[in-house]
Amino acid sequence: MGIAVEGLTVRQPATGRTLLSGVTFEVAPGESVAIVGESGSGKSLTVRAMLGLLPRGLEAAGTVRIAGERVDDDPRARARQRGGVVSLLMQDPFTLLNPLRGVGRQIADGLPRGADAKAEVPRLLAEVGLPADVAGRYPFQLSGGMRQRVGLAAALAGGPSVLVADEPTTALDATTQREVLALVRRVQRERHMAFVLITHDLRLAFSTCDRVMVMYAGRLMEAGGAAAVRREQLHPYTRALLAAEPPADRRLAVIPAVAGSVPAHDAVADRCAFADRCALAVAECRDGVPELRAVRDEPGAPAGVPAVRDEPGAPADVSAVRGESSAPAVRDARLSACLRATELPAPPAPEPGVAPALPVTADPVLRVRDLRRTFAGARRPALDGVSLSVAPGEVVGVVGESGSGKTTLARCVAGLERPDAGTILLGGADCSDYGRMGRGAVRQARRTAQMIFQDPYSTLNPARTVGAALGEALWADGRPAAPDDVARLLESVGLGRDMAGMRPAGLSGGERQRVAIARAVAGEPRLLICDEPVSALDVSVQAQILGLLAELRERLSMAMLFITHDLAVVRQIADRIYVLESGRCVETGPAEQVLDAPTHPYTRALLASVPDGSSGWLA
Amino acid sequence: MFLLRRLAGTAVVVALLSIGVFCLLYLAPGSVQQTLLGTRPATPETIAAIQARYHLNDPLPVQYLSWLGGVLRGDLGTSIRTGMPVADMLGQRLPLTLALTGYGTVLAVLVGIPLGVAGALRRGRAADRLVVTAGVVGLSAPPFAVGLLLLVVFAAGLGWFPVYGVGEGFADQVLHLTLPAVALAVGAVGMLVRFSRAALIRELDQDYVVFARARGLGAPAVLGYALRNSLVPILTAAGLIVTGMLAGTVLVEVTFALPGLGSLLVDSVTFKDVPVVQALALLLTLLIAAVNLLVDVGYSAADPRVRLGGRPS
Amino acid sequence: MTRPSRVVTRPPVSVVTALAILLAVAVAAAFAPWLVPDATGQDLMLGISGPGPGHPLGTDDLGRDVLELLVAGARTAVPGALCVAAGSMLIGNLVGLPAGYLGGWADALAMRWADLMFSLPALLVAIVVAGVLGGGYGLAIAVLVVLFAPTDTRVVRGAVLEQRHRPYVEAARLKNLSAWRIMTRHVWPNIAPVALANAFLNFAYALVSLASLSFLGLGVPAGSPDWGRTLSDNRTQLLANPWAVIAPGLAIIATAAALNIVGDWLYERVDRRGRTR
Repeated sequence: MGIAVEGLTVRQPATGRTLLSGVTFEVAPGESVAIVGESGSGKSLTVRAMLGLLPRGLEAAGTVRIAGERVDDDPRARARQRGGVVSLLMQDPFTLLNPLRGVGRQIADGLPRGADAKAEVPRLLAEVGLPADVAGRYPFQLSGGMRQRVGLAAALAGGPSVLVADEPTTALDATTQREVLALVRRVQRERHMAFVLITHDLRLAFSTCDRVMVMYAGRLMEAGGAAAVRREQLHPYTRALLAAEPPADRRLAVIPAVAGSVPAHDAVADRCAFADRCALAVAECRDGVPELRAVRDEPGAPAGVPAVRDEPGAPADVSAVRGESSAPAVRDARLSACLRATELPAPPAPEPGVAPALPVTADPVLRVRDLRRTFAGARRPALDGVSLSVAPGEVVGVVGESGSGKTTLARCVAGLERPDAGTILLGGADCSDYGRMGRGAVRQARRTAQMIFQDPYSTLNPARTVGAALGEALWADGRPAAPDDVARLLESVGLGRDMAGMRPAGLSGGERQRVAIARAVAGEPRLLICDEPVSALDVSVQAQILGLLAELRERLSMAMLFITHDLAVVRQIADRIYVLESGRCVETGPAEQVLDAPTHPYTRALLASVPDGSSGWLA
Repeated sequence: MFLLRRLAGTAVVVALLSIGVFCLLYLAPGSVQQTLLGTRPATPETIAAIQARYHLNDPLPVQYLSWLGGVLRGDLGTSIRTGMPVADMLGQRLPLTLALTGYGTVLAVLVGIPLGVAGALRRGRAADRLVVTAGVVGLSAPPFAVGLLLLVVFAAGLGWFPVYGVGEGFADQVLHLTLPAVALAVGAVGMLVRFSRAALIRELDQDYVVFARARGLGAPAVLGYALRNSLVPILTAAGLIVTGMLAGTVLVEVTFALPGLGSLLVDSVTFKDVPVVQALALLLTLLIAAVNLLVDVGYSAADPRVRLGGRPS
Repeated sequence: MTRPSRVVTRPPVSVVTALAILLAVAVAAAFAPWLVPDATGQDLMLGISGPGPGHPLGTDDLGRDVLELLVAGARTAVPGALCVAAGSMLIGNLVGLPAGYLGGWADALAMRWADLMFSLPALLVAIVVAGVLGGGYGLAIAVLVVLFAPTDTRVVRGAVLEQRHRPYVEAARLKNLSAWRIMTRHVWPNIAPVALANAFLNFAYALVSLASLSFLGLGVPAGSPDWGRTLSDNRTQLLANPWAVIAPGLAIIATAAALNIVGDWLYERVDRRGRTR
């Protein structure tokens, strides 16, 4: 019963590329397993292939058994199983429901034949914590969290025994995320379903699931019980991934970041996928692909499993993960694809926290007073009287969920949005309305403040080379734009000078964000406005960019207005914090004071919704 | 509220257009007076008579207003070319044009949408490529060229259909109108194939389709979701198709020598038959506006976000 | 989710065929005076005849060779349509770029104008205007440019609006670059492919529209070697020499279809680039 996947491989026949290979795992009824990985790890493709829902142009091979029935070679069995045996909850609540069909009817569509929709739909809605009258509404009339609950009710309508959730809360706010995850877990336990959660967040996986599997470049790297993996990681990649996730409870001097990014599966087909980025790699790591194998027996593991099998090319030791015991107990069999799993050094002790920089008392580089902005057609203001100040060289974090007005604030300060009322003083000059400022004053304001944006994919002009973009930035800031200056600028953000000739399409997300930062700091502004600069990046890249920003701040003694929804990130970089809720500032103070001893209930709710990796987090 | 705004907008368009046509006709080279005289000798008496009869001495705005007043009272004036009341001429020819466009629309919908759906469902395969290419060729083919080719093959070559004429009795009329209707429908088929195929493909790629499949909805139910939701973009095409058809009838009626509004327009325009051109422009604009209005009503029926004031995302 | 990388493909067969057709038409249009110096030469003694030796597609009632007329017809049919497509693209870019980027009342005005023009069937308006003003090739081209420009304006403006709030444009604004420089150096290169693809579609529609006007006697004068005009002149000869009708009809359809296929292909490429970026 449950799920059994063996030797799963996904290929793209048109290009001959292999996207993932040799993925083997089992999930028992009532058990919850998280598949964790960065983008490019193949975690989503794994479940899509498992469910027979691959995008066009991709092919899967390997055996898949769901509820005891082999389905990988039998489309009719798959069709029969969907809904009634296995169901999927998708990522984006804004697109997963049919926009033109009433919610109740959509849920009813998935009910088994002959079911009484009038009784079942309200029952399902109640199960996901929604009132029965939601059935009469359309998706566009519901919030994101409600839509995801409706999605869950629809996924449950057929009474599945296996539930797969693909990043079900990534598009939701942190507080909603915790509610929805807690709901999914409660329903899963009550219905005794086998549960697979796809996530990029290792701590979230620890907090939500019994067992964790870590994927990298289309391969499984490590698997084991959530608590055990959290305690000790038996693969260097898992260690690096966990270390790169900043903690919310303290500030690290440096976030450990591994250079580079996730390679394509085929680029590392003949060796350990992580070897090129691994500090512990030895020559053998590049001689062949290390198999995923049991590293050690821990109490609770099925007896008779050889601890380590060293024959080269031995098949992955499936029996170690097989749910032979009928109880959905957490099995602590530890699997790792690292050759040196048994000789890894003990994990380093958690880094102690450091104190943020001392408050600066000089005249502020930015002073915002009672800023107000209401968008046409909006019911309530985006900014409802926000005041803040940023001292020279100081990093000020602005924290809030979607709709809090934090991005509007950043855009007003940058002059991309005009506030309805209130004043903005940049370096002492009034910059409340760029339309009414003289040319010289505008130029002065632009030199004082620059901005970096969230989406690395649209932050650079796709039609221009990196060199042209940076050359123009230097020129616009009145600096000589000799080729050497562009190269120096590139090097200052950790990029090679040969990158000048490339276009954005050839760069990774992290590299694009570095170029965008270089463009912003070309004229050495006194204030850098950062609008969620790392939230679209993978954690390892996020750590690199945060490190870069910290370094630039030191070197250019630049102040920052750092907008983010992520309390762990803001902890690492901000000296002072403002918490925004619905366009108002509800709490402010030094970073450690706001995050360690919050006084406002909203701040406390935000803090509680940061996954800490403990199993009690969802309770 | 929404419909009221649309109605007001339509009225403005109609008014602007009739003014435009009016000005155009009077700016045209060769005075209207010259046309009216025809072969009669240009004596001061005849000129004065004509000027008095058609109010040619009044300033342009006055002439326009008097014409407008007539229209509002149901008087479209008399044709300069034939001397018949314009309303009668339009009345005689309207049924043929409506029958032709109606027939053409039915053919276009019956052929175009199923082809587009079939193409979307077999995306990327040979059948789809064939449908797409056929659609583009249809879209590119001007009705008169198609009409003449049809005449060459089916009337002159195979003798299945009559070459010219309207026919007597219902069955014979249908037979006579078939080739013209096909010629008219070809372009609309091309457009419908393109729109319905693209719309359905877009819907089939949406997350909600994957989700519906994943939670066990049968293939017909999933296709039903996608078809239903692709209706909105296909409706957009309807307005374009009808305006295209109205332009097409002109060419088709000339090609097949059919006495409809289109051939009347060509004759009247070259003759500068002011009252007829004015009335035709008004009628065609009203027809187009009516279709666009219907499309808007269809929108709000098909999309609850329009009906209930949500923002279409 | 993992994004499968783009499949690099050659242009499909239909596009290659279309490009071949366009090349042939372009050669005919460019070199017609040298290829068929005597296309309009009449042979009244011969009169109308079916395909035969010396006249692969036969002759029309004036004894003119249908094949030679076809080649010569490209020279009238194609340049006019090209002028319409180029002219409306130029206007569309000149109006649409600032309208989309700067916004404001000028933008609103331009769009109301475009909406008005858009709700009218271009061909119908062209028939009325060209008919009333007496017809003629130059007039037909001018009228079509005016009627097509709103479509281009809308397409360009729509593409600009899509780019305007992208961070790269805002970053350029924050660098205090002039609106002119941002429009021309940053925004325009990213929308030019869309404008070009649209120009191909307009080219096809202009070709068909000009042929239609000529067919109705509102374009080139009678007897000129133009596809639409030849069709109109020869439609009474359906039975005597069907090729006199088939050949120009197919020429119009094939050329327009080829232009549409290339335009669609360009659009698809732009679209795909947009998705994989």
